[in-house]
Amino acid sequence: MIDPNVRQGGSRETAGDGSGEGARDGADGALLRVEDLKVYFPIRTGLVISRHVGDIRAVDGVSFTVKRGETLGLVGESGCGKTTTGRAIVRLYDPTEGRILFDGTDVAGLKGRELTRMRRRMQMIFQDPYSSLDPRQTAGGTIREPLEIHNVGTARERRERVRELLSIVGLNPDYADRYPHEFSGGQRQRIGVARALALEPDLVVADEPISALDVSIQAQIINLLERLQGRLQLTYLFIAHDLSVVRHISDRIAVMYLGRIVEVAPSKELNQTPLHPYTVALLSAIPVPDPKVEARRRRIILKGDVPSPVNPPSGCRFHTRCWLRERLGNPERCVEEDPMLRTLATGHEVACHFAEEIKTGRAAATVAAVTPPAAEHERAIPGDAATAAQAGPATPPSMPPASA
Amino acid sequence: MALLSVEDLVVRFRTRDGTIHAVNGVSFALEEGERLGLVGESGCGKSVTNLAIIRLLPKPAGRLEGGRVVFDSVDLAGLSEGDLREIRGRDIAMIFQDPMTSLNPVLTIEEQLVETISAHRKVTKADARKRAIELLQMVGIPSPESRLSEFPHQFSGGMRQRVMIAIALALEPKLLIADEPTTALDVTIQAQVLDLLRNLTTEGKTALVLITHDLGVVAGMTQRINVMYAGFIVESATTADVFDRPSHPYTVGLLHSIPKINAEPGEELLPIEGRPPDMRRAPTGCPFAPRCAWRLDVCWSENPGLQPVEAGAPVILTGPTATHRIACHNPPTAAEAEAGKPLRAEFQPAPPPAGYIDELSGSRLGDAGIDAELGAELSGDASPYASAGGLPIEADIHEDGAGRTGHTGHAP
Repeated sequence: MIDPNVRQGGSRETAGDGSGEGARDGADGALLRVEDLKVYFPIRTGLVISRHVGDIRAVDGVSFTVKRGETLGLVGESGCGKTTTGRAIVRLYDPTEGRILFDGTDVAGLKGRELTRMRRRMQMIFQDPYSSLDPRQTAGGTIREPLEIHNVGTARERRERVRELLSIVGLNPDYADRYPHEFSGGQRQRIGVARALALEPDLVVADEPISALDVSIQAQIINLLERLQGRLQLTYLFIAHDLSVVRHISDRIAVMYLGRIVEVAPSKELNQTPLHPYTVALLSAIPVPDPKVEARRRRIILKGDVPSPVNPPSGCRFHTRCWLRERLGNPERCVEEDPMLRTLATGHEVACHFAEEIKTGRAAATVAAVTPPAAEHERAIPGDAATAAQAGPATPPSMPPASA
Repeated sequence: MALLSVEDLVVRFRTRDGTIHAVNGVSFALEEGERLGLVGESGCGKSVTNLAIIRLLPKPAGRLEGGRVVFDSVDLAGLSEGDLREIRGRDIAMIFQDPMTSLNPVLTIEEQLVETISAHRKVTKADARKRAIELLQMVGIPSPESRLSEFPHQFSGGMRQRVMIAIALALEPKLLIADEPTTALDVTIQAQVLDLLRNLTTEGKTALVLITHDLGVVAGMTQRINVMYAGFIVESATTADVFDRPSHPYTVGLLHSIPKINAEPGEELLPIEGRPPDMRRAPTGCPFAPRCAWRLDVCWSENPGLQPVEAGAPVILTGPTATHRIACHNPPTAAEAEAGKPLRAEFQPAPPPAGYIDELSGSRLGDAGIDAELGAELSGDASPYASAGGLPIEADIHEDGAGRTGHTGHAP
């Protein structure tokens, strides 16, 4: 709007460094393609002579794509590597291995001026609106800073742009001179959104943008993000631990566990027919604000905690807590062989050797055997029993009884 | 005689910025073994209510300025600090949100468990230790003998919360107050801890007050719910009634703010516009009026107080037949509650009285800005709460600090 060099509309020339990738990505509409991304944090000991004794494998071989204009949700529990993935993409962390193709350019290895230029097209919204804003800078100053760094516009144009951005995110433009402490949490997060949008990025990585906010305010920010996406043709990588919010906002969802993606599927499909035992458990663990559903449904209570990413379990990383493996008599394959993501339905990828057991409902048959017939009709479905009931003949995913 | 009866509790905090009206006349009762949820957003006074019950308000700022708390036929206000200490831990136990800050980091788990037990019971050290092991087993900590000698930092978050539960239940209290017990935990761990809490409180006779912002958590855990807003209880009913027939506009708004599990993609949420009131202002009128789509003129000046939804119904305070009560002059009908907005023809929320200073107007004006920019498709229908425009902008005061208990940072 101010700077004619900032893109208008979707297509733009690919930077030369990506050579050749651009055409391919353009073809399938992928704005971002992450290939086998690894981010390790070294563990060092010794005060004087520091020795490298191991790595925290925060992200350990993650691949996914985000199409232009879509929202990909990245969910998982704390420590699963979702935030690290997001930060590596905008290069707040340096990837240890792997490629991050952004509009055809591998940003994993970019440095200096080229990196700065690339960053203009991908911005981040942070979790905590209390600590992500500089308390000594006004709201206007915070939003103006990216414009100054990238030399966009004259001082006067920047001022205008700040006012425009404030009103875009639903704040009074006259608040530009106020300091963060004068705003509420929800308003601060709006400032964070305005700052991220200042350079008209293509990709916005939103890292738990609402989890620090109250419920009634969360809905305001979600609606804001959705409206802005439609209006500015933004692509979102939406990182959160709260599956109910993620499935609301996302087109597709990738579920992470211990540095890996274990399942990717369109939002609705993931919700209705999850195929990875971890996803099934995660869905069943979300408390549903409906006492009838709560009383009826059975939870899969996973045992124990997430193992340490310093020394992840062999084979499938989930095997130490997997209910499906237990049900199948603890097959050795889970311990020995690392499952790769494989496609089981269109756009639905799972990293589990025995996902078919869930898909075909054979695991469900086992459930029926141990559940008294009278209770059969009550067998709960991950997510919501009512959903599946309405869904009718759609294959109901299996659900074991509550942890015995 | 109810186990716990709270009558007209008033708590204020004196701060440099003025008096915070944290709790403004809260009354409720609880029977033995009953499970009650206190639901509300940060700063609504739900934690402060409970700190006031066990007289743990931060001093000297927090003051109990009115009301009575009767526990097990004893008026807690009349007790000496020593007698109170007897009751805390033995009869009333608390679990806080963040197990890392509520466990002592320099004492082993054993010392902390044994301390609790021997502070209230005359037992030998060996017996106390035996009991400690039992308790850890009960809350599902593997190999409890060896873990007793470990320090809190050697436990994971979920495990620490289990230890907290073990300490809280060590003396089989009559009342357990759990203040956001799972908010700091991941969902799968939350499921473990809730499962544990549910089993422990349904088996024994321990009554539970569960304080949370999460409607999903109370739905599965409690029998009755009090919804709090700005230091008032605005809706009180059995859990089934609250979810089946939400009758206060705030409860309706809350339920529409969370994504529905079976919602169609692209369905917009209906947020409650604006934000909670500045708790420094002495409450006048209905506290929710500035954000309410159903408000009448009277709402600006008069707080209706809790009344049965069905006029004239007898008021039963506790148990499965508790009366459904709300504090509202103009409650939404069932159809309106379902839709999340008033459906009456030509209904307009009453404008604020002349001279009304509103601290919410900042964000509301902003939303009007969005709508103007995005065009007609978003205006009007997008949110019923947005229709309150035209308030003068006078002050923009942030919501924090009102009624916070302060054991952790922001609420999620």
